[in-house]
Amino acid sequence: MQETILYNEKIEKVLSNINRVMIGKEREATLSLVALLAGGHVLLEDVPGVGKTMLVRTLAKSLDCDFRRIQFTPDLLPSDVTGVSIYNPKEMEFEFRAGPILGNIVLADEINRTSPKTQSALLEGMEEKSVTVDGNTIPLNAPFFVMATQNPIEYEGTYPLPEAQLDRFLLKLKMGYPAPDEEVEMLERTSTHHPIENITAVMTKEQLIGVQEEVNNVYMDHHVKRYIVNLAAATRTHPAIFLGSSPRASIALMKAAKAYAYIYSRDYVVPDDVKYLAPFVLSHRVILTSEAKYDGLTSEQVIQTIVSNAHVPIRKEFR
Amino acid sequence: MSASATNKIPFLYTSVLYFLGFFLFLEWIYPVQQITDTSNLAIFIVYAAFCFIISMFQMKWWLSFLLKGLTMLFIIHTLFLPYTFLSKLWLQSFYIEFAFNIQALVQQNWYDMTALFRSFLFLLLIWLMSYLMYYWFVVMKRIFLFVLLTVIYVTILDTFTVYEADGSIVRTFIISFIAFGLANFFKVIDHESIRFAWLKKTSVWLVPLIAVVLFSTLVGYAAPKFAPKWPDPVPFLKSAAEGAGHSGAGSGIHKVGYGEDDSRLGGSFVQDYTPVFQAAAKEEHYWRIETKDVYTGKGWEPSKDPSYQEQQDGRIALETFDPGVETERHETIVEFQGNTNIEKLLYPYGIRQVEAESDTEFLLDENTGEIRTQANGKDVSLATYTITYDYPSFAIDQLRETTAEDPSDIKEKYTQLPASLPARVGELAKEITAAADNRYDKARAVESYFGRNGFTYQTNDIPVPKRGQDYVDQFLFDSQKGYCDNYSSSMVVMLRTLGIPARWAKGFTSGEKIADNIGDTDNTYDVYEVTSANAHSWVEVYFPGSGWVPFEPTQGFSNLTDFHVDVENLDENAQDEAVEAPSEQDKEKPEQEMQQEKEAENETATTSATADNSGFRVSWGYVGIGGVLLLLLAIAGYRLRFRFKTIILSIKFNRKTGAKTFQEAYHHLLKLLKHSGLAMEPGQTLREYAKRIDNRYGTHEMGMLTDHYERMLYNNKMEQSQTETKKLNELWKNLIKRISA
Repeated sequence: MQETILYNEKIEKVLSNINRVMIGKEREATLSLVALLAGGHVLLEDVPGVGKTMLVRTLAKSLDCDFRRIQFTPDLLPSDVTGVSIYNPKEMEFEFRAGPILGNIVLADEINRTSPKTQSALLEGMEEKSVTVDGNTIPLNAPFFVMATQNPIEYEGTYPLPEAQLDRFLLKLKMGYPAPDEEVEMLERTSTHHPIENITAVMTKEQLIGVQEEVNNVYMDHHVKRYIVNLAAATRTHPAIFLGSSPRASIALMKAAKAYAYIYSRDYVVPDDVKYLAPFVLSHRVILTSEAKYDGLTSEQVIQTIVSNAHVPIRKEFR
Repeated sequence: MSASATNKIPFLYTSVLYFLGFFLFLEWIYPVQQITDTSNLAIFIVYAAFCFIISMFQMKWWLSFLLKGLTMLFIIHTLFLPYTFLSKLWLQSFYIEFAFNIQALVQQNWYDMTALFRSFLFLLLIWLMSYLMYYWFVVMKRIFLFVLLTVIYVTILDTFTVYEADGSIVRTFIISFIAFGLANFFKVIDHESIRFAWLKKTSVWLVPLIAVVLFSTLVGYAAPKFAPKWPDPVPFLKSAAEGAGHSGAGSGIHKVGYGEDDSRLGGSFVQDYTPVFQAAAKEEHYWRIETKDVYTGKGWEPSKDPSYQEQQDGRIALETFDPGVETERHETIVEFQGNTNIEKLLYPYGIRQVEAESDTEFLLDENTGEIRTQANGKDVSLATYTITYDYPSFAIDQLRETTAEDPSDIKEKYTQLPASLPARVGELAKEITAAADNRYDKARAVESYFGRNGFTYQTNDIPVPKRGQDYVDQFLFDSQKGYCDNYSSSMVVMLRTLGIPARWAKGFTSGEKIADNIGDTDNTYDVYEVTSANAHSWVEVYFPGSGWVPFEPTQGFSNLTDFHVDVENLDENAQDEAVEAPSEQDKEKPEQEMQQEKEAENETATTSATADNSGFRVSWGYVGIGGVLLLLLAIAGYRLRFRFKTIILSIKFNRKTGAKTFQEAYHHLLKLLKHSGLAMEPGQTLREYAKRIDNRYGTHEMGMLTDHYERMLYNNKMEQSQTETKKLNELWKNLIKRISA
């Protein structure tokens, strides 16, 4: 259904930019935009080399945003993220050197490779929209969007993010390998020069902030809210789930759904939006029971079954 | 289905199905020999088999046409034509036959058609059926209609013709259920695109099907079966057409009612609740018409030809009881209903005076007590008349104590018995009356004998005595089931074997009380309605000094005659027994009611239980018809409920705009789709559903309607413009048309 419906004009330009660079990544592009527009962040879980960096760089370039990249390593310090005050002997005072977190769009690569201390520096920034350096609170730039990646293959020497911190990410995505045809196409495109050189910004930062406001104003009916709550409640009683999704998850789902509706140029949310987004929003916010894990279930699958069985409100009560 | 050859059901299996169809078709042909004058059935069966085989192999159409056509001509040839096959002469005579028959057809002289032509048409029919059956069984795999038609055909033939379909129905059952199973299985395989290959290897899947069918057949065959609850419809239809009386002649089944010929009793009859007359009377009593005195072993006849005497001024000189019997004077008005044709007077005991139209003449035959009504020398049936009568009340003690000898003429005439009467009837009578020492007690003993000894009151399945069999003997010792004629005849015959003069009386019972206390305060009447079903026969026993006293041996009926005990010459013994007499009747009641008497009758002793019963039965037909109609209406209503709702909603939708109406219409659509097997799945959103529906019907309407509905539901957009409403209405109607198509 969605493919037949027109995208929002502004968003369409961004997406077409991404399409020029990335092949077969509309879904991830759209979902990244959902997170961006909803003021949230994305956790990408995938192997290296499938275009995570390219996606986020294209996004930054299209939106005329400041792009920063942090490569997380075990010896990375919090100050490497937030920035550091350095004594300037000439001026006789400490001078703040801004860290990469003070960009607009930040790619936090392999976030699970660094120590929890450094992780929490980033995550605090994501949550508080500010960082504290040497006792000074420094507000982050707006818009601010983090795309963190983690490699699911290597567990050696990693610090998996705790559940509470996973909660900071609005969506969790997987990129996946391109289809063979798509990969061939990719080789063709990059043979001479990389297409990212050719794209230009289609939106200013200010416009983006305006869009974020508009997303906030998307109407969500009581019925749809009820539907979200139904889904959340279902995760709390599902036998395969040890810890269900929190009310914060419901809020996240609402925000994401509004952004999604906006992307499809609707000023109201329909249950389909919620239904589509629920696995991305909820699956990293629940913990499966050990039995379910041993049975080979993933939280995505469990959320999918919940979603495909939850009653969709289809009747209005007239008073 | 055509996508892969592996999905195709193998030829072997479709042929099995087709051959089951052939066997079902044979069930249509088998009875032909019995119910028509067709001979050589084997040839038709062979031809049918031939046609079916040709169809099965799906030859080129021209080849199959040629083969079937030539075979048909060859059969005609061997059956009818003496010339060389397809020679000039042969063709000529064939042409002549044909021309003649076509002419007969055109002129609608169906009977002139020759055997050759009829055979030709029949063979043609078989030929066409082979095509039709191929289509039904192999192409469509829809066989229910044919099976249903076969069952109807077989049952109708079984019911209405001489054809015995016992075996046929079992065969039909087995064949059709195996065919159902196969057809359904193949349909599912087609429908779900299951590869048949794996099934080819093994026929195990067939085993449960056959086992289930055989098992249910065996159970059905071995299980006890209820007798039919409904009377056989054939006699009812026949008697409705002929209007025969239940006391009428001969064997077979009759409709109940008053009839004149009682010379051959027996056989079943069906109830007929057509009202005959209404009577305003003070009390219930028998409506006597006549008595008969000669028992022939098969029925009753009068002993001599009637000699009628005209009764002056309606004064009837008929004495059935002695002047000494205590009487009470009453009046009753009889009014006939509809076009009943009884050209005789129906009268209570003690009739004195009749008032009717002035030119009516009353002719009395003293021998039988029959009073014919005439006007200007012609028999007429009166519309209404009034009878004044002295209603007798017999003193039980007097009846019991009578010792006088019977007058010799009465003794001779009313103890007549056929020589062929088996001796065991008399022995039984002696046995029953062994304890009684007087005539009254003997009569009572015989009267009440039937209530206790395994006799059943019923009107259907009553045998007619065979040649050499006695009607009474058959009832007493053989069938033990019957209706008034059986009971009354048996009592008369048994009393006669004891030398007690008795005769057989017939007429009507008092009928059903339909109104209470009509008329003046000091002169009130009850109104009774008497129907054909109240036609009855009972017993009159002669008592010297009292006359003819009515008795009622029939189960479920009680004696309408008044008995009393004279206080003056009462002795203790008599009182006991006098009280006992009616109470005996009472005791029998519950048992008798349980036996479901079919005729309405007196309520004096029995309260109105039996009368209610009769009322129930009268209306049963209407209740049945009403019930069936209601059921049909309900089914029709249920089937058409969506259509009605659609109409109502579309009217509403046209007139009223607004979210609520739209929601109602939209949800009606959902229900309609659900009814068409396209229910929303749990967890499905409207968009997903709409997409599915639009894909299914190749439309876009559902998507558009859903879009609007979503706006209303999820965007709280309540108002809609006039043009929007119109468009939505259009979309909605189109979609409903599409769904209902």
